[in-house]
Amino acid sequence: MDLLEKLDQLRGRGLEKINAAADTQKLNDVRVELVGKKGALTEILHAMREVAPERRRQVGQLVNEVRDLFNEQLAQARYDLAQALVAQKLAAEKIDVTLPGKRLSLGAKHPVYLILDDLEALFIGLGYQVVQGPEIETDHYCFEMMNLPKDHPARDMQETFYIDNENLLRSQTSGDQARVLEKHDFSQGPLKMVGPGKVYRRDDDDATHSHQFMQMEGLVMDRNVSMSDLKGTLEMIAKHLFGADRETRLRPSYFPFTEPSVEMDVSCFNCDGKGCSICKETGWIEVLGAGMVHPNVLENAGIDSNVYGGFAFGLGLDRFAILKYGVDDIRDFYTNDVRFLAQFRQEEK
Amino acid sequence: MLVSYNWLKDFVKLQVEPHALAEKITRTGVEIAEVKHPATGLKKLVAGHVLNCIKLEGTHLHQCMVDVGEAEPIQIICGAPNVATDEMVIVALHGARIAGNEKIKRGKIRGIVSNGMICGLQEIGFSDSVVPVKYRDGIFVFPKGSNIQPGEDVYHALGMDDYLLDFDITPNRADTLSMEGAAYEVGAIIDQPVKVEPVNLKADGSDWTSTLTAAVDAKLAPKFYLRKVTGVKIVESPLWLQTRLWNAGIRPVNNVVDVTNYIMLLTGQPMHAYDARTFKTGKLSVRLAKPDETLTLLNEKEVALDPADIVITDGNQPVMLAGVMGGLNSEVMPDSHEVILEAAVFDGTLVRKSALRHANRTEASSRFEKGINWDNTQKALDMAALLLRNEASATILDGVLKGSDTGRKPVMVKTTFSYLNKVLGTTLTADQVVALFNRLNFETQVARDQLTVAVPARRWDITIPAHLVEEVGRLYGYDNLKSKQPLLAETQGGYANFELFMRHVKHFLQGQGLMEALSYSLTSKARATLFTKAVQPVAEVKMPLNSSRSVMRQNLLTGLVDAASYNFARKETELAFFEQGRTYDHADGQFNEHEHVATLYSGHVYRNNWEHDEAPVDFYFVKGQLENLFTALGLTDIEYRAEEIAGMHPTRTAGIYVQGDYVGFIGMVSHALTQTEKPLRNSELYGYELDLEQLSHYLPTSTQAKPAPKFPAMSRDLSVLVDQSQSNQSVMAAIRQAAGHYLVKLSVIDVYQGEHLAAGKKSLAYQLTFLNEKATLTDDLVNEKMAAVTTALETKLQASVR
Repeated sequence: MDLLEKLDQLRGRGLEKINAAADTQKLNDVRVELVGKKGALTEILHAMREVAPERRRQVGQLVNEVRDLFNEQLAQARYDLAQALVAQKLAAEKIDVTLPGKRLSLGAKHPVYLILDDLEALFIGLGYQVVQGPEIETDHYCFEMMNLPKDHPARDMQETFYIDNENLLRSQTSGDQARVLEKHDFSQGPLKMVGPGKVYRRDDDDATHSHQFMQMEGLVMDRNVSMSDLKGTLEMIAKHLFGADRETRLRPSYFPFTEPSVEMDVSCFNCDGKGCSICKETGWIEVLGAGMVHPNVLENAGIDSNVYGGFAFGLGLDRFAILKYGVDDIRDFYTNDVRFLAQFRQEEK
Repeated sequence: MLVSYNWLKDFVKLQVEPHALAEKITRTGVEIAEVKHPATGLKKLVAGHVLNCIKLEGTHLHQCMVDVGEAEPIQIICGAPNVATDEMVIVALHGARIAGNEKIKRGKIRGIVSNGMICGLQEIGFSDSVVPVKYRDGIFVFPKGSNIQPGEDVYHALGMDDYLLDFDITPNRADTLSMEGAAYEVGAIIDQPVKVEPVNLKADGSDWTSTLTAAVDAKLAPKFYLRKVTGVKIVESPLWLQTRLWNAGIRPVNNVVDVTNYIMLLTGQPMHAYDARTFKTGKLSVRLAKPDETLTLLNEKEVALDPADIVITDGNQPVMLAGVMGGLNSEVMPDSHEVILEAAVFDGTLVRKSALRHANRTEASSRFEKGINWDNTQKALDMAALLLRNEASATILDGVLKGSDTGRKPVMVKTTFSYLNKVLGTTLTADQVVALFNRLNFETQVARDQLTVAVPARRWDITIPAHLVEEVGRLYGYDNLKSKQPLLAETQGGYANFELFMRHVKHFLQGQGLMEALSYSLTSKARATLFTKAVQPVAEVKMPLNSSRSVMRQNLLTGLVDAASYNFARKETELAFFEQGRTYDHADGQFNEHEHVATLYSGHVYRNNWEHDEAPVDFYFVKGQLENLFTALGLTDIEYRAEEIAGMHPTRTAGIYVQGDYVGFIGMVSHALTQTEKPLRNSELYGYELDLEQLSHYLPTSTQAKPAPKFPAMSRDLSVLVDQSQSNQSVMAAIRQAAGHYLVKLSVIDVYQGEHLAAGKKSLAYQLTFLNEKATLTDDLVNEKMAAVTTALETKLQASVR
C-alpha cells in the first residue's frame, strides 16, 4: 500500500479512536498508539526509506499534519473528558441550600442593660463621665450628705435594708453625687457625671415592686447652670428614650436633695394622652425625678452654694425598660427566663 | 387628701372647671392623682318618703308605700332591717342605674310588685369605710330636717354632685392637707383672692381653767390647748356636715366627733374630744408612756405602749395615744354632757413612729408627722367650740387652758432677684416676682436687687432662698421656662479604664453566644458563700424580707444556678448564661465589693440540628470558651489546679491561677446541689467564675508588633505513656522546659486510657512545633531537642516515650 494511502487511513481511524475513548486511561492508550514513540505515525516515519526521495518531503509534511491533527484532537478530548468529570463531581456535590444551618447558642444583652448602655452612650456623647459608687453605702453618704436628716422617713428600717447602724444597702444612687462633689476640683472644669447601678428597697417583690432595681444618677454642676438647662436636658432624655413625638410636662415634686424638685411626665404612648389603663386615665406617665441641687448638699460637700450650683436627676432603668418594651411585671427582669430574655436582641444599637 | 371642689368655692372664686383646675394644680403645685365625681354612672336615684311599711310575715321583707314625688306613692319591697314608716330614704326608680352600672327594674318579689329599690349608701357607690355605722348593714335614712323633698335627685343632698380632687401631696406640701391650705394654693395658682374667715368667739359660760391642771412636757407637745363645753347633746350630725366628711373619706360618727374631724379638714389642725368625766381627779398630763402601760384605742385595738409613745393621761393612766388615736376609756359617749376639746402640736417624729409601731396610722398622725400650722391651734379650738354650740347645743365655758404654748418666730427669707433669675434661667423683673408672691399672700420688701419675703406660718416648708426659687418657678410656670442645654466648658465624657475592661468582657461573652442574666444580690446565707474558695464574713441585712434574701452574695454562680433551675422547670435546658456583677463581703471589718463575671452552660454545643451533631456541653467545651476569653484579653501564664470548691463537683473543678495568683474557678456544679434541686436533677451544669478586679492586674499594657515568621516551622509528634495520676499540665511543663525556646506551640493531640494499656497508665500524644524566627531550623537541632524532651520525661515523670 502506498504510504500516503496508509496515512490517510490512519488519519480516519485515529480520529475515530480518539472520539471513541471514554476515559482518560483509554485516551492515553490511543495517544500511545497513534503518536507514541512506537506508535503508528512513528512506524510510518520509519517506512520513509521506502519512499522515493522526491516524494519524501511531501510525505513528511503530511505525517506532520496528521500528528498535529491528532495532538490537537487528543488535547480537545482530554479537555472534554476533564470537563465532564468536573461536572459529574459537582453534580455529586450538590447540596440542598434551603436546609437550616447548624447554630451555636446566640448571646443577648439583658433589657435593663440595653437601656443602661443606650443612656450611657447618650451622656458620654454630651461629655458626662460614668462613675460607679459602692452599693453597700454608709448612712453618711446615702442620707446625711444628701440632706436627709436623721429622722427622715426614708431612713426607716421599714424602707431601707440596714446592715448595721452605719451601713446599709443604698436605696438610691444619690450617694454617688456626694462622693463626686467632695472630690471635684472646679478649677479643672465643670462637673458632669452619671452614676448607674443597683439599688435596694425593703419592698416585697410583686408585679410593680422589686427589692432590687437599677437607677442612674445624673449631676451637672458649675457656676451658671439653670433650671432651663435642666428642662432641656430632661426633655432630651425623654425624647431620646420614648420618641421625639412625645409631649412632656414638669411637675413640682419633692426630694430632700434637690430644691426646687420636679418630676417629668411624658404623654402616654399607649393612648397618646387620651387616657387609658396604663396611664391611669391621666394621659401622662411619670418617667423621672430631678431638680436643682439643694444648697445643703453642696455645703455638706464643702462647696460654696453661692458660687456653684447645678442640677441632678434620677432615672429608673427598670421602669424605662418596662415602659419602653411594655413589660407588665418587673420580676421578669430577675427570673432570667430565656424565653423572655431572647426577645430584645433587635433592640441593640 | 380629697379636696371638695364645691367646698373650695367657699374660699375662692373658681371660674375653671374641675378637670382643668386639676391639671393646673398638678403642673403648678401638687399632683392631682384623680378627679372623682361620685354621681358618675348613676341614674334615677331620688328621695322617697316611706308612707307605710308593713313587715311581711315569715320573711325579712317589708312592703312599703313610698312617696317619690309622683301623683301616687309607689310600692317597693325592701329587705333592709332598718326600713320604717316616715323615713326619708334613697329610692332607685324603675330604670335606675346604681353602683357597678347595675340596672334596677320593676319586678316581683315573692309575687308582690316592687317598683324599684330602697338603697343603702354602698349600693350607690359609697365605700364601706365612710358609711355611718348605723346605716352600714341597711338602707340610708336622711337625718330629720334634711332639706330634701320626695322625688328630688339625691346627688346634691348627699354631696355626690361634687368633684373631689385627690391631692397626692409630697411631704413638703402638707400645708394643703386642709381646705384652707388647699384654698391658698388654688388661689395662688389661678390668681384669685382667697377668703379665709377669722373666728370670733364669745364664751357663754364661766371660766373653767382652774378646775384642771395640765402637766405638759413641752418637748413632746410644744403647744397644748384645751377648751371645755357643757350641755352637749350627742346626736347624728346634720347632712351637710356628714357629706363633707364622707367626701373626704372620713366616716361620720356623731356630732362631737364629726366636728373635731371637720375642723381638722378645714384647718389642718387635728383635734380630739374627751368626755370630761375622764379627768375627774382634776389632773391631766402629757408624757412618754411607761414600759408596762397599755391602752385600748377607739378602734378597740389594745396596744402595749412603748416608752417612746407620747400619751395623755388622766394624771394616772393613759387615756390617749397622742397624735394618733384616743383611748376607749375617754371616749365621748351617747350620754356625755361635758366635753373637753384638745388642739395641740405634738412632736411629729415621735407620732410617726408611734403610728408605725402600732400599725395605726390615722388622719391625725399623718398630719402631725408631716407638720401642721402652729398658728392654727387657737383658731381650730374656737371654731370647734362654736360649731358644737350650733350642732350640739353646747355651752362654751370661758377660757383656754394652755398646758404648753411654745411660739415660733415668723420666718423671713432674704434673697436677690438676680439669684432667682440665675437659678431659673429667667429674666423676671422685680415687679413680676413680687406679683407672684402677692398671689401667695406672702408679704415682700424690695430694696434694689434685694428681696425679703415674710413667710406665713401656714407655709412651714419655706425657710431658704432655694424654696423661694421653687415658689417663683412653679407659679411663673415650668411650662414657660426656656428649654436649653447647659453651655459649659467642654468636658471629656467616658468610662474609667476598669469599666472599659468589664464592658469588653461582657461584649466578648455575648459574642461567644452567652445570654446576659441579672440576679438578686441578696440570697440565703448558705447560697451566699457557695462557689467561693475563700469564704469571708458575710454582709447580712438586719431585717430581711425573708431568709432567702438576707445575705449579700459572695459569688455570682448561685444566681445563675437559680436561673438554670427556673428555666429547667420550664423545659428550657439549652442554656448559656453570663452575669457580670458584684460580690460583697465583710472581710477585715469593712464592707468590700468585687466585680465578678460568671458563666453557666447546659445542654449541647450545637442547638438541635438535622446532622445529629449532639455533642454535649462539657468541661472541656467550657474551658475552651474560657481559654478563648483569656487569649482575647492577652492573658498568659495561666494554670489550672484540680481543686475542691463548695457547690462544685469535687473531681471536675479547677482553680484558675494567673501568674500564680488565684483568679477564679471552672468546673461542673456538684451532684449534691443538682440532685437536691428538683428541676435540675440529673443535669450537668458547667461554668466558671472570675474575679475581674484580680484579673485586670495581669492585662498586657500595650502591643509591640512583630512581623509574621519568615522561616518555616517544624512539627513533631510525641506519644507519652505515664501514670494516670500524672496531669497533662505536668507533662507539658516538663516538655516545655526541656524543649527550649524554639518550641512555639505545644498541643495535646490524643489522650487514651483503656484496655490496650497497662493498668494505671495513660497515653498522651502531643504535637510540638518548633520555629526559629531568625533562621531555618535544621533537622539535627530539632532531633536534639526531641531527645532532650524524651530524657526529661523519662527521668522526671518516669514516662515512656514512644
